[in-house]
Amino acid sequence: MIFRLATKSLVNRKHSVMLTLLSLVVSISVLISVEHIRHQAKESFNRTLSGVDLIVGARSGQLNLLLYTVFRIGSPTTNISWDAVNELERNKLVDWVVPISLGDSHRGYRVLGTSRDYFAHYKYGQKQQLVLRQGTEFNTPFDAVLGADVAKALNYKIGDSIAIAHGLGQVSFTKHDQAPFTVTGILAPTGTPVDKTIHIPLSGLEAVHLKPSALSQYLKAGESGSYPNLRPDSVTSVLIGLKSKFATFKLQRSINTNKKEPMSAILPGVALAELWQVLASVENVLRVIALLILVSSLLGLSTMLLASMRERRGELAVLRAIGAGPLTVFLLIEIEALMLTAISILLSFGLVSTLLWLSSDWLIEHYGVFISASVFTPTLGVAAGVIFLLSAVVAAMPAIGAYRTTLQSGLAVR
Amino acid sequence: MTPLAISLENLSFRYDKKSTRYTLHVPEWTVQQGEKIFLKGASGSGKTTLLNLLCGTLSPVEGEVKLLGEAFSSLRSSKRDTFRARHIGVVFQQFNLIPYLTVKENIQLAQHFGGAKLSGDHELTELTSRLKLDADLLNRTASELSVGQQQRVAIARALVNQPEILIADEPTSALDSDARHAFMTLLMEVVQTTNTTLIFVSHDPSLAEYLDKTVLIDELNQAKEQAQ
Repeated sequence: MIFRLATKSLVNRKHSVMLTLLSLVVSISVLISVEHIRHQAKESFNRTLSGVDLIVGARSGQLNLLLYTVFRIGSPTTNISWDAVNELERNKLVDWVVPISLGDSHRGYRVLGTSRDYFAHYKYGQKQQLVLRQGTEFNTPFDAVLGADVAKALNYKIGDSIAIAHGLGQVSFTKHDQAPFTVTGILAPTGTPVDKTIHIPLSGLEAVHLKPSALSQYLKAGESGSYPNLRPDSVTSVLIGLKSKFATFKLQRSINTNKKEPMSAILPGVALAELWQVLASVENVLRVIALLILVSSLLGLSTMLLASMRERRGELAVLRAIGAGPLTVFLLIEIEALMLTAISILLSFGLVSTLLWLSSDWLIEHYGVFISASVFTPTLGVAAGVIFLLSAVVAAMPAIGAYRTTLQSGLAVR
Repeated sequence: MTPLAISLENLSFRYDKKSTRYTLHVPEWTVQQGEKIFLKGASGSGKTTLLNLLCGTLSPVEGEVKLLGEAFSSLRSSKRDTFRARHIGVVFQQFNLIPYLTVKENIQLAQHFGGAKLSGDHELTELTSRLKLDADLLNRTASELSVGQQQRVAIARALVNQPEILIADEPTSALDSDARHAFMTLLMEVVQTTNTTLIFVSHDPSLAEYLDKTVLIDELNQAKEQAQ
């Protein structure tokens, strides 16, 4: 009966209740969105690379090395020599080595020179391997395998020809168009920077940087049957897998203290955690803003209930006269607040879920971010519970006011 | 001897706890069960304070309110609320009903607080027909009713738990003379049938003829002589 009374009382004040509901839905939606996107971004961030024990590059800070090797952000100051790569490969602690060479681009997308081992050892998420959606890995120096976003955005198909350019800009004046690459494979989407990368063999990358005469000779040799073995002098960085995880720190120390060539070896997990720490302040600011919006909305709820007390004095006196105790009056106000909050929480979850579901393709296409539309996570469940309790706390003030009014004014309703 | 419905003994009350003057002081007053009392007095004479003390929505500073032999004012607050719901019906001048609830819900709410089983449509129709209300009004919201209809629904609600005491606080002041007469006739008919004790408060002396006995609040309230 008390629930029916609370429901009808809310319906009776539908205009002010709707405004309060709207304000609550907006603020709770903001809070849910921030929390969900933060969680998803962190997950997406952490899933960029897995199964790699060490990343080795020229001596620099670990964030810089991580950013250009994994996220294709920024550029290295210098490279590491091919001899150093060979030495790493020969190290008895090392299981596999994948060299990476960056510096060129195609219509704004980064070109990554690597070996075929890249497709076998590069893993993301829960150690998921890269999967070819169409075609094959590269077999000749002038084959290219495209990330899913590149193929989609530039509308490339298997067999299409692309010319890479020197540097990273959208427009380049140094195009290596005398030696175009042929698209042989397109990768399935991963939600990582791989989707925005064009993968080519190291030998092909080396070839396009040969002098025109040497390049012509190289191309002719290829036409006549087989390309000569072309090895780079240096690469940007190396991804390393170890035979045993226990050897990680040992090898890291030996690389970092290598006297022959100054290099840095970083643990991807530690570097990712450090990078996330840098972003944590932004994350905290967003959280604080969302919380402030929520607090102001909950205070709005309290104000709405307080404002309605004056017009409800008659109603409360009637309730008292027919046997409702002050505690019942207190509970009535609390139930009204909690019902409003519960409806707002449900609407907010529905709204955020629908918006994310509708915008998921757009988010992947424009930002390469995969945000799951499923917002019903345990963390957000706890957040909803906290909001629910907070609304009970803020509703206590008008509820106590109603309790005291009914105690003091008795049946005086005129 | 007829048992007592109301017994007040050395009852004192004041709103301002710091004040030395009482708002109401009644040395002694008794009402027998089934009596219909017309309580008359000017505004500010303490009528509503007395009604609040009788309903238990205010507690006396001193003295005792006994209702139906029970030390009502000494009961715990929650017990007092339940006692009120079960044994006392109240009809006001206005704000009698909760406007957004239907007639049926307004009546059932009183049953709910009284801990009684909620009446079905058939029982409610019987009750409302005694008060000359159409059955189709049951599902209308209170705000859709005329003042006269609202007052009759208020009586129905006040009587639904079959209370021994009915308190009416100026219920006719918003009615014109014809409606007032119709209301009083109906009210007296119902309380006679159920042998309900009626405390009827009004400043309109013409209503005294409907009731058994007139009590002047000024004679009852000795507060002026009782300054501490």
